[in-house]
Amino acid sequence: MNPIVIIGSGHAGLTLARELRAKSSDVPLVVLSKEEICAYYKPNLSKALSMGKTPAQLIMKDASVLTKELNAKLIGRVEVQTIDHKARRVRYRTEQGEIHQLDYQALVLATGASPIQLPVEKSSSVPFLAINNVNDYRTFRNAIEGKKRVLIIGAGFVGCELASDLSGAGYEVQVVDKGQWPLQRAIPEVIGSTIKKAMAENGVQWHFGKTVEAAHWAGINQQTRAGKPVEVTLSDGTVLETDIIISAVGLKAETKLAIDAGLSVGQGIVIDSFSQTSQEHIYALGDCVQYEGSTMPFIAPATQSAKALAQTLTGTPTAFALPAMAVAVKISACPTVMWPSVKSRGVWEVQGAGMDLEAHFMDEHGSIIGFALTGACIAQKNVLSKRCLDEAARKNEAQSAEVTTNNLNLPNYRESIVAKTAML
Amino acid sequence: MSFRKYCCITCDTVYDEATGWPDEGIAPGTRWEDIPDDWTCPECSASKSDFYLMDA
Repeated sequence: MNPIVIIGSGHAGLTLARELRAKSSDVPLVVLSKEEICAYYKPNLSKALSMGKTPAQLIMKDASVLTKELNAKLIGRVEVQTIDHKARRVRYRTEQGEIHQLDYQALVLATGASPIQLPVEKSSSVPFLAINNVNDYRTFRNAIEGKKRVLIIGAGFVGCELASDLSGAGYEVQVVDKGQWPLQRAIPEVIGSTIKKAMAENGVQWHFGKTVEAAHWAGINQQTRAGKPVEVTLSDGTVLETDIIISAVGLKAETKLAIDAGLSVGQGIVIDSFSQTSQEHIYALGDCVQYEGSTMPFIAPATQSAKALAQTLTGTPTAFALPAMAVAVKISACPTVMWPSVKSRGVWEVQGAGMDLEAHFMDEHGSIIGFALTGACIAQKNVLSKRCLDEAARKNEAQSAEVTTNNLNLPNYRESIVAKTAML
Repeated sequence: MSFRKYCCITCDTVYDEATGWPDEGIAPGTRWEDIPDDWTCPECSASKSDFYLMDA
């Protein structure tokens, strides 16, 4: 029997492998990854300093432990080159340049997302560090060793958490962002201003409404740059000095393989509620997917869909449930919890005072579709999460009732999925 | 019986029965078996069954 092949060894890929093994002791499993395969929790990368953990201590399980536990073949440091969906075969290349082929019964793309590179990074001789895996994190920790100043580009989740972690560890942190307040895409201005003020009191220097235009080694002699500071020029002409530059301007779903294989791809690899792509026997999970027009770049939906997909691939077709999306943003100066809305249209309703704020994101029907909480109001997390889930479920029910009456294809579609997995 | 600790297999978050999880509405001293089965990890949303008992 050909194996189930998973491409990617991040949270989505390894969670799926674990769930598959829990449901079937004998299904052959192969994990292919461009990284060295090990289990770690990626959100910890932006809080490891305050956790007092070294990069090595972030690794929960290495490849040998995982191989034994998952009873799977783990093939790290390879590049998957092509997917032949007709022959159900992938081709990959090892670091030594050997080409291998592998036939699959089902293929799962868990290729994740890669840091977006700013044009200025490409034209600059100064390194811009991006932290997207434990290997990047090791490079980052080596780079900041013995240094004092860090400049972060991007005030999103990763940028804010890193800024908090670094300032808590005694670094002088500057953050540059083209928006007006931290986490601007996920929270209203009043909450953003509160976080901004609290972090500034802890020493973070913000540069909002600006972009980085250039970065170069300070001093005339560009050759002897070791240990030299870096000068960063912003769009308004301000020149900042720093030791290290971190780029945290966002991620882009890794879709190249899927595009080359002819799968339907938008912002991410398009999937249905069974995690199936536009091609039979090929599924996708985690940061690389797009579902109902949105990407799902968080841990919770990846976990939920991995669990459902493990059921589907072992003979019980299961659509993934609406996941609880509440995420805590680790900002020590200002505890923050939010439920990022997948829809961008809505209105914020804010109440509270000082640092204790509660904001609801409401759609045009008056349903809550997201929230943001700071300070003491984070205690509202569970109550509001339940409201978001209940209202989303109600909307879904109303929608599927409509679909069943208007579109008789839905039951047929489910039957075809049952038939397909029975063949595996 | 002494209090036990359970660790999330996904994110390494530890549930300590002694301290409970007041932020999540779980009082100090709450036994693991008394936490509802549909409870999920507050950090990463893994299932209750994804936690393992830690060595004392």
